[in-house]
Amino acid sequence: MDTTELIRIGVYGTSILLILIGLYAVLTKRSLIKIIIGLSIIDGGIHLLLIGIGYIKDGTAPIFSPGSENAVARMVDPVPQALVLTAIVIGFGVTAVALSLVIRLYRHHNTLKIDEIKNLKW
Amino acid sequence: MVGSPVFLIAIPLLAAFLIPLLGMVWKELVRIVPGLVLAYLTFLSATLYIDVINSDTIVETIAGWRAPWGIDLVFSPLTGFLSTIMTFMGFIVWLYSYRFKRNVEFEAAKKYFIFLMLLVAASVGIVITGDIFNQFVFIEITGISAYALTAFYTGRNSAEAAFKYLVMGSLSASALLIAIIIVYAQLGTLNMAEIAANIDNMNVEYRIIAMIFFIIGIGVEAEIFPLNGWAPDAYTEAPGPVGGAFAGIVVKAGIYAMVRMMFTLFNISGPMQILIIIGMITLIIAETSALRQDKLKRMLAYSSIGQMGLVLVAFGMGTQAGVFAALFLMLNHAIIKPMLFLSGSYLEFNTKNKYIKEITGMGKKMPVVSAIFVLGALAISGLPPFSGFWSKLSVLTAAADENMILIITLVLIISLVEIVYYFRVINRLFFFDYDLEISVEPHKPGWNGMVALFVLAGIILFIGFYPSSVTGFLDLAARDLMDTHDYINNVLQLGQSIIQ
Repeated sequence: MDTTELIRIGVYGTSILLILIGLYAVLTKRSLIKIIIGLSIIDGGIHLLLIGIGYIKDGTAPIFSPGSENAVARMVDPVPQALVLTAIVIGFGVTAVALSLVIRLYRHHNTLKIDEIKNLKW
Repeated sequence: MVGSPVFLIAIPLLAAFLIPLLGMVWKELVRIVPGLVLAYLTFLSATLYIDVINSDTIVETIAGWRAPWGIDLVFSPLTGFLSTIMTFMGFIVWLYSYRFKRNVEFEAAKKYFIFLMLLVAASVGIVITGDIFNQFVFIEITGISAYALTAFYTGRNSAEAAFKYLVMGSLSASALLIAIIIVYAQLGTLNMAEIAANIDNMNVEYRIIAMIFFIIGIGVEAEIFPLNGWAPDAYTEAPGPVGGAFAGIVVKAGIYAMVRMMFTLFNISGPMQILIIIGMITLIIAETSALRQDKLKRMLAYSSIGQMGLVLVAFGMGTQAGVFAALFLMLNHAIIKPMLFLSGSYLEFNTKNKYIKEITGMGKKMPVVSAIFVLGALAISGLPPFSGFWSKLSVLTAAADENMILIITLVLIISLVEIVYYFRVINRLFFFDYDLEISVEPHKPGWNGMVALFVLAGIILFIGFYPSSVTGFLDLAARDLMDTHDYINNVLQLGQSIIQ
């Protein structure tokens, strides 16, 4: 097994681990803030996975410049990088909305514990 | 040519960002501009739709990069049909909420109209885009504006409903992103048409995993079981017109994304057991839950979920007749359910806890609004001669063609259940005396809301008496969804025709 394979497995493994950790936090934690942290960890894992599929060993930036016309084979795929940028921005937006909702909930109920906020059926 | 499909997304987005600035000039502009924009969008969408029916599908390339390299917008008989309904319902919701918080709270009203614009733009975007990542972005924009609209009222438990919606929404969006990553890693493309053309090159295991993640990812907006836990709370806690917007606009976009994924992306033909099973479970659970709700909007929300289950069952038959029936159901639901939400929120305007028993005897105090509510209730439970009857009938005939006895039985039983719980409300409205102990002061509806309700009621009656006026459009849309080959050809080969 060469290093490329190892790196690839490492990246995929880490990202799946992160997604699972995040999912665990969202499903079991009882604090609103911890749930949001869990969502962010899931996002992080997915972003790593997304970047991982574009990985090439000794890759270069996908820019054609004088002297590097032959580098096409070594250029990394730019699409996952563009996607991950978009996904990060969206994740940021969702986190901001979630935190603002938590502030509203805290003012309304004076607690962050999910068990004590159940005017609606969960 | 009055404009291009890209305006359907760009103009409301631009309007959303301009609204705060316009509000500084003259406060009334915050209300007028969204209406003008939505009226223009409805006009544009309808004109383009007529064009598309008479000639060919419009494929609009963005920034000169034609498919499969760039993002493309596909305006076909199906997507045009849906985007016309959605922009029109957006306009009706605007008309109903024109005087929302007028002279009371300027800031709140401003935010409401901004998010309404974003909601319509993103929902139309979900429908007309031809790129799965672009669709993901639009689903997220729809989600964020829907969370914000749900949490609109500070006094109620709306933040709780919105948080619940947000957690489910962002978990499922993560699943959708994973599905997109799997497809991209396997096929190296994000364009729907190219994915559809190359889907056979993908391993079966990967295909199944990707499909499961897609269903989880889209299921929240499409309100399928078990991802619909947010819906009853969000519909109850959000302002009345927002409930109508969710039922008429957002859910339609979710269902579209679901069937586009199944029919085109994964190119499945023939009956789809998975859609039928999901749809049936959703239908049974939602309708039985609706039966024991004591809050009006919660009941309407469960009824809405149930209808979406029925739509999925009809799509799942996979035949031309089935798809036709499903689209007919979507059209009827998009008109009737917002009408129920809008008239229902007039009825319970002054109630404290939104219980059904609080509107006892309202039929005598607010006869017109109550009559419209009853019209909607009769139409959605499928009684002739209203529009809902024809769509249920077409589901039954489509199922009969395929000898699916189980579906026929289920639809008939569910119709009975629907009649029972809607008549519970009708009974309270008309056959109980108005009683100051439990009932509340009636609310005087605004003229704009009444116009909106009358337009919807007129459409329901018109479709009810002349179903043939819409069946031609539905037939074309159904054909368009079934013909994956044509979709691929249109997008990949005619991708640049619009530029010249």
